[in-house]
Amino acid sequence: MLSIKDLKASIEDGTQILKGINLEVKPGEVHAIMGPNGSGKSTLSKVIAGHPAYKVDGGSVELDGKNLLEMEINERANSGLFISTQYPTEIPGVNNVEFLKMALNSKRAYLGLPEIGDEEFKKFCEEKMQLLEMDERYRERGVNDGMSGGEKKRNEILQMAILDPKVSFLDETDSGLDIDALRIVANGINHIMSPEKAVILVTHYQRLLDYIKPTYVHVLRHGKIILSGGPELALKLEEQGYDWIEE
Amino acid sequence: MDAVTRIQQIGMPRRNNELWTFFPVAKIPNVLSADGDCRVANAPRNDKQESLDFSKENDFAALLPLAKNARTMVKAIPEGANEMAMLKCNDDFGHTVLDIGKGAHVSLEILDNKVQHEIVAERFDISVGEGADVEIFFANPASALPLRFRHFRITQAANSTVRFSNILTDSGIGRISMDCDLNGEGASFDYRSLSILDNTASMHQRLTIRHNAPNTVSTQLARNLLSGSAYASYDGMVIVGEKCTKVNSGQLVNTILLSENASVSVKPVLKIYHDDVECTHGNTVGELDAEQMFYLVSRGIPKEAAKKMLMASFAKETFYPLPETPAKKRLLQTLSV
Ligand SMILES: Nc1ncnc2c1ncn2[C@@H]1O[C@H](COP(=O)(O)OP(=O)(O)O)[C@@H](O)[C@H]1O
Ligand SMILES: [Mg+2]
Repeated sequence: MLSIKDLKASIEDGTQILKGINLEVKPGEVHAIMGPNGSGKSTLSKVIAGHPAYKVDGGSVELDGKNLLEMEINERANSGLFISTQYPTEIPGVNNVEFLKMALNSKRAYLGLPEIGDEEFKKFCEEKMQLLEMDERYRERGVNDGMSGGEKKRNEILQMAILDPKVSFLDETDSGLDIDALRIVANGINHIMSPEKAVILVTHYQRLLDYIKPTYVHVLRHGKIILSGGPELALKLEEQGYDWIEE
Repeated sequence: MDAVTRIQQIGMPRRNNELWTFFPVAKIPNVLSADGDCRVANAPRNDKQESLDFSKENDFAALLPLAKNARTMVKAIPEGANEMAMLKCNDDFGHTVLDIGKGAHVSLEILDNKVQHEIVAERFDISVGEGADVEIFFANPASALPLRFRHFRITQAANSTVRFSNILTDSGIGRISMDCDLNGEGASFDYRSLSILDNTASMHQRLTIRHNAPNTVSTQLARNLLSGSAYASYDGMVIVGEKCTKVNSGQLVNTILLSENASVSVKPVLKIYHDDVECTHGNTVGELDAEQMFYLVSRGIPKEAAKKMLMASFAKETFYPLPETPAKKRLLQTLSV
């Protein structure tokens, strides 16, 4: 359903960060992307999302046969793509719940569905917040405003639960989570996941993969996927690091 | 000395007059000569004026309404009273004298004049008694008046609090001028203003805050959201007198330019005659935050809607620190439509 072919992208000064990424993601699959810091994992997520800091030099990214790279950023999201960036942005003056409702209604409008009413949304949102064991304070706050790293990650998964995307790309969602929060967030992701959907997880740790079993594990280094394997690869990486891999 | 004589003395506003640095002074008709664009009402001669001496008044806008025979409305709010009031002037030129008693709690909304001429000018003289708590605010719908002046002279006794808040959305040329005297120990003055301007609108704020007593506090926050060729200026002067220890004063102007032709000028002036004071001022000019835009849009929200959300958030933040009073309610309500 998500097909990335020979994707190359560079930053403003012309430095190429992604040097030909290939990745095929099918419904029901969980892909874990690992790799040393500075490899280009976050860049990959942002390029797919359409972040203006990156220029695509070549290749393609298709979601269900549609070329994402030609779409506006919001259209990508509304077509079923969800990107959770490593450091979610704080927007103090925009209320979290109003933001969530606006995002959901934007998707509904895009799909030709009627707006969801206040009451219905409130109930819907409450359900998802319970799933993620989030307290009422999340409602009143601004988007990610003053939240700890872990709280932000939880808020990201709340957005994922509400928008119900086909493909989610979660960049280090497990970083900064304590053991309880990790369990809650992982359960949340498993709950949202279904045979029609797919998840790409960027992580440094096996502990997340204990909860969410990956179909494939990839190693990204110097802007390329240099090795792919099954779940056992993650265990080996945790023990031995990346240096044994030949590029 | 009457207002006309004083205007004759100081002359019409000119760019080189420090009170009018940024204002398009050429747009002001000569109010002393022929009728011109500026209606001279056949209003009855103002008796109240006879007793007023304007020989020390330097701001043309403060003199104009009286020079134009504004009718003076006098209102006294008794000691300890609890009052919510709306002020509205029914003429092009207005003069309001408010005498607020000790310990009174007052919430005052200023409504726009109904008349529509080339020029409108209002003056407010507000004296605030000891320990009184006063909020003054206006958030009128956008007006197309070509030229509008509003002048305030506020004097505060000890431990009094004044919160002055406004939203300016006019499409013509406007000027808010303010002379605030913190005369009593422990007095505090809070000024918050939001200008949302488009096309050729230009809005000018000129404040002089005098800390004449120890332990006085003043805060100023002006935020501008400027589109089209809109122009905003902020000229804020804070003067701390000689024996005034433990004064705290802060001034901050934040502007978001939404188009290339919009512009802003800011002039903070501090005159401090004492060491033991804390005065800060800041000025930021920028665009909407690109990362915040990206975040909203990457959740499926269309670009225009995301822009509006960020603008609304920037606007609302101006008034969040206010206590939960009618002013805050009204100002935020205005911004949520
Ligand atoms: N917007 C940017 N501006 C400058 N350099 C960037 C930018 N984005 C990424 N880079 C650089 O690209 C490389 C890959 O970064 P990143 O994708 O964040 O790696 P990872 O997520 O794998 O740790 C790093 O060297 C980083 O400094
Ligand atoms: Mg990263």
